[in-house]
Amino acid sequence: MSRLDESKSLVIEARAARMKETQALLSAEEKDALIRRYHPDFRKEAYRPIRLGPNQGEQTVHELANLLEGESPVAAEAISLSPQHQVDLLIIGGGGAGATAALTAKAAGAKVLLATKLRLGDSNTVMAEGGMQVAVSAEDSPVRHFLDSLRGGYMKNDPALLKTLVEEGPEVAKWLMDLGVLFDREEDGNLSIRGGGGSSKPRLLRCKDYTGLELMRVLKDCVLNEQIELLEFSPIVELLTDGAGSCTGAILKNLDNNQYIVVQAKSVLLATGGIGRLHIQGFPTSNHYGATADGLPIAYRAGAKLTLQDTFQYHPTGAVYPEPMAGILVTEAIRSVGAQLVNVKGERFINEMETRDAVASAVIRECAEGRGVETPAGRRGVWLDMPMVDLVNGEGTLAHRFPNMLRQFSRYQIDIQKEPVLVYPTLHYQNGGIQINVDGESTVPNLFVAGEASGGIHGRNRLMGNSLLDIIVYGRRAGRAASKRATEISFGSTTLRHLDLFHDAQKKAGVVPQTVSPMLFPDYAKKNE
Amino acid sequence: MSYSDPQSPLVRIEVDGAAHPVPEGITVIQAMWKIGRPMIHGVGCLGGVCGACPITYRLPDQLTSKTALACQTAVRDGMAITFIPSDSSKKAIALIPAAPPNQKTLFQYYPETRRCTACRACSSVCPQEIDVMGGVRAAINGDLSNVAEKFTSCVMCGLCAAVCEVQIRPHRVGMYARRLTGAFYPKEATRLLQRIEEVRSGKYESAWNQLLSADDAALSKYCSSEEAAQKLAS
Repeated sequence: MSRLDESKSLVIEARAARMKETQALLSAEEKDALIRRYHPDFRKEAYRPIRLGPNQGEQTVHELANLLEGESPVAAEAISLSPQHQVDLLIIGGGGAGATAALTAKAAGAKVLLATKLRLGDSNTVMAEGGMQVAVSAEDSPVRHFLDSLRGGYMKNDPALLKTLVEEGPEVAKWLMDLGVLFDREEDGNLSIRGGGGSSKPRLLRCKDYTGLELMRVLKDCVLNEQIELLEFSPIVELLTDGAGSCTGAILKNLDNNQYIVVQAKSVLLATGGIGRLHIQGFPTSNHYGATADGLPIAYRAGAKLTLQDTFQYHPTGAVYPEPMAGILVTEAIRSVGAQLVNVKGERFINEMETRDAVASAVIRECAEGRGVETPAGRRGVWLDMPMVDLVNGEGTLAHRFPNMLRQFSRYQIDIQKEPVLVYPTLHYQNGGIQINVDGESTVPNLFVAGEASGGIHGRNRLMGNSLLDIIVYGRRAGRAASKRATEISFGSTTLRHLDLFHDAQKKAGVVPQTVSPMLFPDYAKKNE
Repeated sequence: MSYSDPQSPLVRIEVDGAAHPVPEGITVIQAMWKIGRPMIHGVGCLGGVCGACPITYRLPDQLTSKTALACQTAVRDGMAITFIPSDSSKKAIALIPAAPPNQKTLFQYYPETRRCTACRACSSVCPQEIDVMGGVRAAINGDLSNVAEKFTSCVMCGLCAAVCEVQIRPHRVGMYARRLTGAFYPKEATRLLQRIEEVRSGKYESAWNQLLSADDAALSKYCSSEEAAQKLAS
């Protein structure tokens, strides 16, 4: 029997005893010490100061710093800036935030162009499993949602952004339901809710473990029904400005013929998502193929300030075995209904409902101190004992509530109703991003941001279920504000003056760009260039 | 980012007719990266939920091809792979009606649905193992909530429509049935409606005023004391 199989037997043997054990929550001091010692955000060698721009001198990870200081792909080329498209609002990104913004702006009467790197809908949204937090129950309230999120975010959330998020949650849930989103319901018609890590009350709305897929399918269907103008396979490569600091459009790149597309717009909305595919610190990721943080370096060159750009979420439970599943998310909701985390000896080592940063740190600790399990490909992980879900809640619960999880593992002959699986933290979310106000506007006039590309709402750690809420609430707000702005102003001149200023700043800071940014695709995926 | 063990043995796969050695134990998409094949079309979430990467493949000991998602399928020796465009059927502009749907609502956009010959081809190609044909039959019978349930895990890859000999677009029928079911859910979510009313009526205004004017120390107190939170939140 292999060591892996031996350890698996221990997990199964110890299950009955573990079911009776309780694992206390960590005290504030214990949690702080655990995170400081083991969370990847605290690895000093992974960080360096940003050497120029609005966040000069502040720390971020090497991978992002290199992008922010990077060279524009259009900088060295003589390209015509006469626009091929003129629109009120250009939205970049076809995930949940971009699609929501497009629908809202179209409804407000704006002429909208939606450009996206891959297909409409290709995004992290579609992959979200666990749910969307909305305070609906009688014992809950938006205020409680606010306090839980603030505590989870280490009090670094922007209070005004967070208040708007939680307060508009119920209204946004209704909006989605009116579009035809089918959340799980109770017998009496009320929304079925569950608990999530760090939340004092259950408030996760969900559609089995396909919540993001359900949202994205409906939003995509609506965008197609509205016949909003679409440019697929056309990522953004640079913004355009008027030379006086305001955003006036963008340059896209048609991936099929490598031609640039110049779009003049009264306002631009970045919904370009997060950073997972940069594999910060070598971590695997739960993210979409296109999650290469394209909006960040582009906005930064145009002068937008970032916030909390030094903090990332490592989801505690990414699969590590079998190898083709490495990085794929195992939803937190499975822990909230009884699945336990156990080490190589079959021992529990953390209360599974701690916040994600604490649970991830505890998993890293177990592996660092030799209590992890090694896979044949040389990865390390701990066990997530999923069969407990059926033991605690009744046979068939896993199959009914987590059909996606069951199917994904069954493709590799692993039955999660019978066996535990190996997990390790996977790079999941960019906690920070481009700084916005409650209308989703960045520090660059007429440049709006929504979704994971923005920063401030979630502080230094996002609670489960708050990002699906964020993309809809702020997708709507930014879409509305950006289309309103477009009615108030006329087209500005389209220049790349901000790149000249950026070059001057590079020279002054002695920065030699190490890369061209945006990255567009992860470096291991060879591209048609 | 390493996605395969350098020591793992090689297997031979065939992509659109050309043979390539690739490491055992990686997915078809990872194999495409490994052999330097451009991947822009036919790739998406890499997590089995976006439907961008349908393929057909045949194994040496099989007479016929199977269908799958390339990001969810491990390479095997002798596997012959062809990528298929995702979701190539036409979508009807099918809006949510003002009044609750009846049988005609769906058929006005997807009239071909009634032609189903029960050949089961759609179910046999579905990478999500959906009872697609059962869904189509339920649609014909007007049982929209049953259709909705059956298509819960649909990733809209469109393989079912691609193989339908009478040109039914089952995934689109499923999607529309789901939206109709959601928008006209037979029972109200009363607690949600109450909460919306509470927010509109300003029930939480004084709490927000306290929170947004509080300094860090005060905020910290609200966050750490259940009693303070309870008082504020109720």
